[in-house]
Amino acid sequence: MLGYYIQLALRSFRRTPGLTALMAGAIAFGIAACIVTLTVYHTMSGNPIWWKNNSLYAVTMDSWDPNQSYDAAHPKLAPDMLTYRDATYLYGSNIPERKMLLSYLVGVLSGTPGLTRPVPVNTQATTADFFRMFDVPFEYGGPWSAAADRGPEPVIVLSRRENGKLFGGADSVGRTILWNRLRFRVVGVLDHWNPQPRFYDLTPAGGGSFAKSAAAFVPFEWGPTLRIWPSGTMSCWGPQTIDTYQKLLGSDCVWITMWVQLRTSAERARFLDFMNAYWAEQRAAGRFGRPRNNHLWQVSQWLRIHHVVTNDSRLLLRLAFAFLAVCLINTVGVLLAKFLRGASLMGIRRALGASRRQIFEQHLVEVALLSLAGSALGLALGALGLRGVHAMYAHSGNAYGAVAHFDPLGVLWALALAALSTVLAGLYPAWRIGRVSPVVYLKSQ
Amino acid sequence: MKTARTQVNLMNVPIRPLFSSLRRNPTGAVLVALQVAITLAVMINAAWIVAQRLEKLERPTGIDTRDTFEIGIVGSSRKFNVAQAESEDLAYLRGLPGVAAATVVNGILLTENGGDTDLSRDPGTNGPVVGANFLTVDDQALNTLDVPLIAGRNFRADEIRPLTKGKQTPPSEVIVTQSLARTLFPHGSALGRIIYNGDSNPLTVIGITRDFMGPQVGAPAYNTVLLPTMPGQAGLYALLVRTRPGMRDTVMREAKQHIGTAHRFGITGFSTPLAKAERQMHAGDRNTAILLTTVTALMLAVCCLGVFGLTTFNVGSRRRQIGTRRALGASKRDIVAHFMMEGALILSGGAFLGSILALVVGNWLTVHYALPRLDLVYLLGGVLALWIVGLLAAWQPARRAADVPPSVATRTV
Repeated sequence: MLGYYIQLALRSFRRTPGLTALMAGAIAFGIAACIVTLTVYHTMSGNPIWWKNNSLYAVTMDSWDPNQSYDAAHPKLAPDMLTYRDATYLYGSNIPERKMLLSYLVGVLSGTPGLTRPVPVNTQATTADFFRMFDVPFEYGGPWSAAADRGPEPVIVLSRRENGKLFGGADSVGRTILWNRLRFRVVGVLDHWNPQPRFYDLTPAGGGSFAKSAAAFVPFEWGPTLRIWPSGTMSCWGPQTIDTYQKLLGSDCVWITMWVQLRTSAERARFLDFMNAYWAEQRAAGRFGRPRNNHLWQVSQWLRIHHVVTNDSRLLLRLAFAFLAVCLINTVGVLLAKFLRGASLMGIRRALGASRRQIFEQHLVEVALLSLAGSALGLALGALGLRGVHAMYAHSGNAYGAVAHFDPLGVLWALALAALSTVLAGLYPAWRIGRVSPVVYLKSQ
Repeated sequence: MKTARTQVNLMNVPIRPLFSSLRRNPTGAVLVALQVAITLAVMINAAWIVAQRLEKLERPTGIDTRDTFEIGIVGSSRKFNVAQAESEDLAYLRGLPGVAAATVVNGILLTENGGDTDLSRDPGTNGPVVGANFLTVDDQALNTLDVPLIAGRNFRADEIRPLTKGKQTPPSEVIVTQSLARTLFPHGSALGRIIYNGDSNPLTVIGITRDFMGPQVGAPAYNTVLLPTMPGQAGLYALLVRTRPGMRDTVMREAKQHIGTAHRFGITGFSTPLAKAERQMHAGDRNTAILLTTVTALMLAVCCLGVFGLTTFNVGSRRRQIGTRRALGASKRDIVAHFMMEGALILSGGAFLGSILALVVGNWLTVHYALPRLDLVYLLGGVLALWIVGLLAAWQPARRAADVPPSVATRTV
């Protein structure tokens, strides 16, 4: 029966090729718009490390000015970074299973065969747990040891891209490289790793939420040891002029991002108690003039409070759905008109013994075929549209372009949505034609 | 048979057949009206959003971005002598024939790379504060930016505080932009007044410039304060260069090459034409405007296809009725007028529903996206535009209806 229905549907399409193309085109445009916006939205709102959402926490404490909040637009939020004093104290705790600090330094690389002249690279100063906490994949070697954090030892981890430039992509573990004119030993090379959004660091000076991960990684303590000023976001308040590195370390300037990995809710409570005790002690000593606001943020919460999904992309997503709605209403209208025009034919089929159900099924098959054609066309258009959006943003040098790539899951969602909605849209016309009384049409013949 | 009337007089369209045909088969008409309503609501609000974006895009930077570039220098070792490197670079750049002016600066204008600060009219941290972009520069800054003073004077060369042992020296004079001056001192001139930069160090306003955009890390674009002190405390600094017209790329390439190898412990980090920075600054708004316009135009097209399709269907399925009316004396124009009127009726119904929807959506956008309240001119304009475009879509099938010959009435199928 299905084969016969398909044959009938194809014949019907051939009878009105213009109308059929119009309907398939309308569906395709609606789907394409949805694919583009859903993909961008899905990538933006995605949690790149969802499997650890219940164990990773960003640490914040409100060390800011008693007279004003850190962010005037969100007065209840503490600064998203910590002062050196607080970060190093909290890092000393052995409650978390893992813990890491993060800041940025400009590192000038030289002394490898791939380099004709020194190049400055964005270096992430961090601790060994960074790689294990965030499941960072390695192509060669691995993270440095905990002992290297304390030294600090001159060890460096390179991104895959940087290793490609410096060593032609060869296994460079054990090789030496000059980082700010000091000899560093390569201990690891990352594999492809570019989580989007870059959840572990959303600060603007790090390049924003959709920036690439750093080119090189060195132990956190190298910053203070060499007194290299942090090159990432740093915010200060208060009357003190910060003009020496020593003053920076003792100041209330915030510039360090901290994450901890906690196994259980009991561990989480213990770490929060530890923070609160430290807060109380410091407050007694005259710091922390603002109300207590110690917080451990899950990755998903962290992304939400930082408004990683831009208002514009949310707006465009809604627009796409409105567009799809118009396309579908349009399809319902055209289908209805088309089916009713064939009503007299259906009258004959009914009179010859076809049941209502069979008429309904026959038309539903036609709708399904149409939806299939529209979806296929929509997929192609959507791919084209994504490429357009990507080019538009890439050309303007905006990091947003990074999220406009063909994301299989996002596309699958859009397609499922499209197929379902077109079939739903076809239900009413198919049902309507099934209800047609054959007598009326036979009479007028 | 040629009709004597030359005008389609819509008032003469019989109303009864219009409504009875709509009543007999309302589904198609309701569906088209629904499309019209949604399209209208989206179109009006999209146009309103795009208008806001265009206004933002048209805000001038206040700087000569075409002939200006920045180049950054970073130390590769603690032995890097920043103060010496800065003066060598400036001397080199100012000696180049293609360079009109050059200065040092502590950030990249228009790119969110730089610093901002809170300024106040009162010492201490209790008074109200105003956020401002924070530029530490020398006496050539205004000349390089090509920004005119509107009151007061420029920094003198002897007022520029040098870096001493790598440390920046706090100055006591500042130049502010007009916007910043007005925000700090709404009543009366800011010139000669004292402001405070968080600390108790008093700063005297010695000059006020025309507005220009700063780096905008957090502060409003046009709020900028210039301080006469050499940057480079963190071992890195930037040079801002304005070239003679058309020579930007040549000079930038040459300067990058020279400066990259000139210093013993310092190398060039980046080089950016400010025109590129300006483009990137506008990218988000521009792209959103483009995407909104594209999708809305497609939506309007689909909506028009709906009107076209419905009218075509109606004409096709009422051929006999049309023939009968023609046989009974209705002119071609009466037939066209009938279908146009029917289209107008559906469009009006959709426009009515759509206007309400547009206001609801507009209100929602005001609440959730802090968009200014929808201007009613956009509502009226949108309704009118959709009405006209919709009628145009109904025109072709309505014309075809007029070609149905009266003889159809006498034929059986």
